[in-house]
Amino acid sequence: MITVYVPHDSAAKSVGADDVADALERAAAAAGQHIKLVRNGTRGMLWLEPLVEVATEGGRVGYGPVRADDVDELVRSGMLEGAGHDLYLGLVEELPWMRDQQRLCLARVGVTDPLSPNDYLGHGGLAGLQRALELDPADVIAEVTESGLRGRGGAGFPAGIKWKTVSETEGELKFVCCNADEGDGGTFADRMVMEGDPFCLLEGMAIAAYAVGAREGYIYLRSEYPDAATAIRAAIEIARDEGWLGDDVLGSGFSFDIHLRIGGGAYICGEETSMLDSLEGKRGMVRPKPPIPAITGLFGKPTVVNNVLTLASVPTILAQGGEAYAALGVERSRGTQVFQLAGNIARGGAFETAFGISLADLVHEYGGGTRSGRPVRAVQVGGPLGPYLPGSQLDLPTDYEAFDAADAMLGHGGIVVFDDTADMAAMARFAMEFCAEESCGKCTPCRVGSVRGVETIDKIINGEDTDGNLGLLNDLCDLMTEGSLCAMGGLTPNPVKSALSHFPEDFTQKREVHQEEAR
Amino acid sequence: MTLFKEPDLGTPAPPEGAPPVAVEVDGLPVTVPEGTSVLRAAALAGVEIPKLCATDSLDAFGSCRLCLVEIDGRRGTPASCTTPVAAGMQVRTQSSKLEKLRQGVMELYISDHPLDCLTCPANGDCELQDMAGVVGLRQVRYGYEGANHLDLEIDHSNPYFDFDPSKCISCSRCVRACGEVQGTFALTIEGRGFESKVSAGAGELFADSECVSCGACVAACPTSTLQEKSVVDLGIPNRTVKTTCAYCGVGCSFKAELRGDELVRMVPDKDGGANEGHACVKGRFAFGYATHPDRVLSPMIREKITDEWREVDWDTAITYVADKMREIQSSHGPGAIGGITSSRCTNEDVYVVQKMVRAAFGNNNVDTCARVCHSPTGYGLKQTFGESAGTQDFRSVAKSDVIVVIGANPTDGHPVFASRMKRRLREGAKLVVIDPRRIDLVRSPHIEAEYHLPVAPGTNVALVNALAHVVVTEDLVDREFVDARCEDFEAWAEFIAQPQNSPEATEEITGIPAQDVRAVARMYATGGNAAIYYGLGVTEHSQGSTMVMGMANLAMATGNIGRDGVGVNPLRGQNNVQGSCDMGSFPHELPGYRHVSDDAVREVFENLWQRPLIPEPGLRIPNMFDSALDGSFRGLYVQGEDIAQSDPNTGHVDAALRSLDLLVVQDLFINETAKLAHVFLPGTSFLEKDGTFTNAERRINRVRPVMAPMTGKHEWQIPCEIAQAMGYDMSYDDPSEIMEEIASLTPTFTGVSFEKLDKLGSVQWPCNTEAPEGTPIMHVDEFVRGKGKFITTTFVPTNERSTRKFPLILTTGRILSQYNVGAQTRRTHNVHWHKEDVLEIHPHDAEVRGIDDGSEVTITSRTGETMLRAVISDRMPTGVVYTTFHYPLSGANVVTTDNSDWATNCPEYKVTAVQVMLGSRAANGVSSEATAHAASSDEGVER
Amino acid sequence: MSTSPVMKLADDIAAQFRHYPPRAAAASIANHIRQFWDPRMCSQLKTQVAEDGADCDPNVIAAIQLLNATER
Repeated sequence: MITVYVPHDSAAKSVGADDVADALERAAAAAGQHIKLVRNGTRGMLWLEPLVEVATEGGRVGYGPVRADDVDELVRSGMLEGAGHDLYLGLVEELPWMRDQQRLCLARVGVTDPLSPNDYLGHGGLAGLQRALELDPADVIAEVTESGLRGRGGAGFPAGIKWKTVSETEGELKFVCCNADEGDGGTFADRMVMEGDPFCLLEGMAIAAYAVGAREGYIYLRSEYPDAATAIRAAIEIARDEGWLGDDVLGSGFSFDIHLRIGGGAYICGEETSMLDSLEGKRGMVRPKPPIPAITGLFGKPTVVNNVLTLASVPTILAQGGEAYAALGVERSRGTQVFQLAGNIARGGAFETAFGISLADLVHEYGGGTRSGRPVRAVQVGGPLGPYLPGSQLDLPTDYEAFDAADAMLGHGGIVVFDDTADMAAMARFAMEFCAEESCGKCTPCRVGSVRGVETIDKIINGEDTDGNLGLLNDLCDLMTEGSLCAMGGLTPNPVKSALSHFPEDFTQKREVHQEEAR
Repeated sequence: MTLFKEPDLGTPAPPEGAPPVAVEVDGLPVTVPEGTSVLRAAALAGVEIPKLCATDSLDAFGSCRLCLVEIDGRRGTPASCTTPVAAGMQVRTQSSKLEKLRQGVMELYISDHPLDCLTCPANGDCELQDMAGVVGLRQVRYGYEGANHLDLEIDHSNPYFDFDPSKCISCSRCVRACGEVQGTFALTIEGRGFESKVSAGAGELFADSECVSCGACVAACPTSTLQEKSVVDLGIPNRTVKTTCAYCGVGCSFKAELRGDELVRMVPDKDGGANEGHACVKGRFAFGYATHPDRVLSPMIREKITDEWREVDWDTAITYVADKMREIQSSHGPGAIGGITSSRCTNEDVYVVQKMVRAAFGNNNVDTCARVCHSPTGYGLKQTFGESAGTQDFRSVAKSDVIVVIGANPTDGHPVFASRMKRRLREGAKLVVIDPRRIDLVRSPHIEAEYHLPVAPGTNVALVNALAHVVVTEDLVDREFVDARCEDFEAWAEFIAQPQNSPEATEEITGIPAQDVRAVARMYATGGNAAIYYGLGVTEHSQGSTMVMGMANLAMATGNIGRDGVGVNPLRGQNNVQGSCDMGSFPHELPGYRHVSDDAVREVFENLWQRPLIPEPGLRIPNMFDSALDGSFRGLYVQGEDIAQSDPNTGHVDAALRSLDLLVVQDLFINETAKLAHVFLPGTSFLEKDGTFTNAERRINRVRPVMAPMTGKHEWQIPCEIAQAMGYDMSYDDPSEIMEEIASLTPTFTGVSFEKLDKLGSVQWPCNTEAPEGTPIMHVDEFVRGKGKFITTTFVPTNERSTRKFPLILTTGRILSQYNVGAQTRRTHNVHWHKEDVLEIHPHDAEVRGIDDGSEVTITSRTGETMLRAVISDRMPTGVVYTTFHYPLSGANVVTTDNSDWATNCPEYKVTAVQVMLGSRAANGVSSEATAHAASSDEGVER
Repeated sequence: MSTSPVMKLADDIAAQFRHYPPRAAAASIANHIRQFWDPRMCSQLKTQVAEDGADCDPNVIAAIQLLNATER
């Protein structure tokens, strides 16, 4: 029997993977071939989706992008035997995109059947949890600290230190919360992991819980990810049946269970304290810090809040040791990061590699430059609140501190590319508009400031008292940066100020016109 | 004094007992407890950091971003309200950077705020205005054409305050006050971002929402967004008189704020020991009755009650009363007259009435309205603990782990204490509610009772015995406490362990499943600090006193007495019911609860008063009525109480009062009793009084005159003058002299004086040389009587039982917006929430009678009949109906019986067997007692 | 049966002490009446019980004897 893989990932499905799968089953039956169809996660080469893989003696060979219409012909031309075709890609693992990665978080994503416990175990799953349970909780934390793992949600706070705080805070009741409210445009790695290897996230949470002394975990998932919800829900059920979760995790006596909670569609609930409010059943509003969630978190109890990728990195760290993980990366950015290439890019997708690779390599070498073929004018890293980097400054190494020094932000590793037709004043305006749209409304600089920001940029674009309003916009940006309660308002000036400093000409086009009229 | 403004330290004090931390703010050293915010530490160092969303009654919120500071060694500009101090911290509150940021914040605020300061009601009392000045805002570069909220409409729906969202700065202080302080959670922020808007529920008007009009939001609002209508109408007040609320037994302290001589508003006093800055709709807003046109301001006389009233001067009225009283005594004996004191009046007012009765009338025929509410508390706690008062201060509830509420409805009856209790419940204390009715507390926002035991009316003692049975038989007794502190335990334990007291045996009587009783008993005995709070659902029963003793036994057996967080606590009904009892208003007790038979005590009084005193008890109120009907009691002086409406079996009371030769009523209004009186002596409202009230936690609070007596006479002067006219010299120049006399005669009051009260704010008696600043918690090292005494409490079912003819049990209570007989609250806008009394009935009981929601129904008992509108409610268990008695028209007491507590004669208001039928018999031509009674109520009183 | 208020009250008091031995019950009833009743009520009770006390609680009758004894 031939095993064929058609991703079940929602990115693949959005370009017809389900139809391809149906067509394959029909075509194989018509051809009298018995196939085992596995709906795997995505390999992250989104430009190749739907990417069909066929297991051959030499390894898994790929075809893509495959449309349902192509299937009959592909089967006829011997795809099920791994024969050549226009869409034939060769061995998937040997594609440069795959070969050059160091896939730790994504090790199983696209490889395994996401909900098969056997697949999970067969590909190294649970090795981390098993080892953790043999260690003292404090030693688990030491291992994570040694690995240098930093929060992948954007802030880059050392996970080991956070866990240590939770573990050392007095309290019977503690929680582990996974922030899966992946709301930034151009980011999708969390979703890929949840759809493609949900057990890995559960394992990471179980390790965290064991380390800090929690018995209950919550995954806060955005409502826009129904497929991820289905996968996580099923994975939790299976994990309970398998004894990976529950009263006696892997027979160790340690008790831990996970609940899935779906968000209500507010961007701000991706901010950890808002997320906690929302998990508590309240309206998601930012809480001041201190107190930090590690001390006063969910329902006021000590709580680990980590992003999906952070937690999904933990099983590898425990399985292979913190030292091995720390051997990857540069400076204080250790291990791997899942970079997500999006926007105007020829080859979009997820690329996991050790920190230190330059932005230019990611955008040009792997991403293939812009999809439009025009020059790259700007790149925005770290989500809609990340600063814009001009196309000329992409030789920056991906390192938290190096980015900081360049007034940029590595954040969660989302990279959005713009070509030279982009209007950067409009992009700056969009940043303020986005903030106005998504502000929780609690603090004044964000609630009122973002609205005034849009209005002020409009005045600048219209050439009304350009210099005065540029000064005002600058003051407003300072106020939002310094005065906002959370990163939402605090980071909004990033894209605005970077657009102003790198692309001032986009803001002042009408100045002369206006001055002319005034005369 | 001029307008008093408490300093606002920005954030609340951290929990007591935190270690000190030394920091420097702008170079000024200050040492504060750990957990203190930088904002508060700065304020304590004398440095005011600009702020808008922070106020010290609410947890820090961190939203306005005005209070940003710089801290050495820390990045950025943290908000001082949400940043706790750390040892050695160096804080800078002023720098050019901070100045610019603060101006930036204000610039944003003002870009979306009406520029109408000069015509705004809050002009001069607006924190936004103040802060604009403080931060030096000079321009708004954004202009005023941008997006804004200026067109939002004012919500005028609440009768006492307006909500003007165009002035809102989204600081959430109102929303937080509603949740944190009041615990109602009626307000919320609707929408997100710039569209965020304060909303009462789901976009409703305030008046249609869950809002209980406590005014916490209005007090918290830094602008004119939530503003008292009285301030809109009259302007900002310019002077303050601190005084005490005259509604319930919580005894909230208020700042009466006046403009000249006109009272503008009542603002709860943050320094008030009972309320700590909180209030309810009655105290905060419902004071308009004091100047209501219904008030009678001149004395009036008539020979017969069928005659017209005749206005007379004070001297004539007083001479008339004195002569008549003497006349009655000469023809019918010295015991043929008596007096009733009022729990609405001050301690000084009450003291002089009982002194008039004892010294001038020469008998012990003095009683008080506590007879019909908490007399069993006095009896039961005196017998067991040795003192007729609650054991705790209100603050104690914050230390409770298990709170048992029995026969009380705090959110309606004692709302400010309820808010304190709810705060503790939200922190995780466990709640048990024992009440036939599912009161609000059973399930309210963020609160859910672990157990609600809907005990059958009249079976409390069976239930408390069952609880004690579990404690004794499951070995949950605190032996160490019992052995060291109590007596007669063994006999009690043997009695209580008998099988008839087991939860399984009482299940059929009380209707409470045995396993629930067992669970509650275990929780009470082992759940940490367990406190009992109870109300009239305990006392107003034929076994009211027994039940009080039963609860005291339970507390002693489990060691839940004598420290913070525990105790047995009556929630007193009226503002000064504790005080009126303390003042010797009972016919068997002299001030300080000392029995008239005690020769040594009598001697002290006889020496000072220069009159011999009678060593036997006098008549209690119900005995006065009985004696009036048999002709041996003929003259009664009633101070500020409407016995004709409030006492049970109205028909009986009416007949008794009509048989008197002289009925003197001293009151604000022509109430139901006054309609049967011969002399009406106009009283004064609390706004005119000068004296003290004592609340349910034994706290003596000053009542200070906000205005001169509208009647031309202080109320305490009236009994003095009557006594003098009767030949007994009794006079004081000032009410403080009355308190001096009380202190000189009463061991628990020896340390009390107006001077001390003015200095300390309030004290809780006992206040004497052993406890010069008062006693928040009683029975700490030993009980007042020495050893706590266990008393066996056998369950005796009430005579009042449901039968085929009267198959339902009627029980009574009260509602938040109204107070007692409604004489005050019915004359305010509070009628907005409660226009009439209604009968609550379970859907099943309604259905079998064909009663719909809103139907007119007739309620018949063995004693009478009345009519009400039905409200179908599953809060009631089947077989039990419920009403309030705030309106004379409803005649709730027409149907109540003259059953009473065996020990104190406290009426059994809570159990009346009735039948309820659809429609009105009166409408069919059959006149009923209540409708006849109601017709007479209409004359002159209700407008 | 219609009883006078004082007789009803005396019966109510007696009911509370029914679980006591008779002598102790009578003493408790007498003590309560002494402490809390106006002497007028007490003499009414004595008269009424003497006239129409057939249905009266025996402990009340015993209590009255105690009250009479102390008065003498």
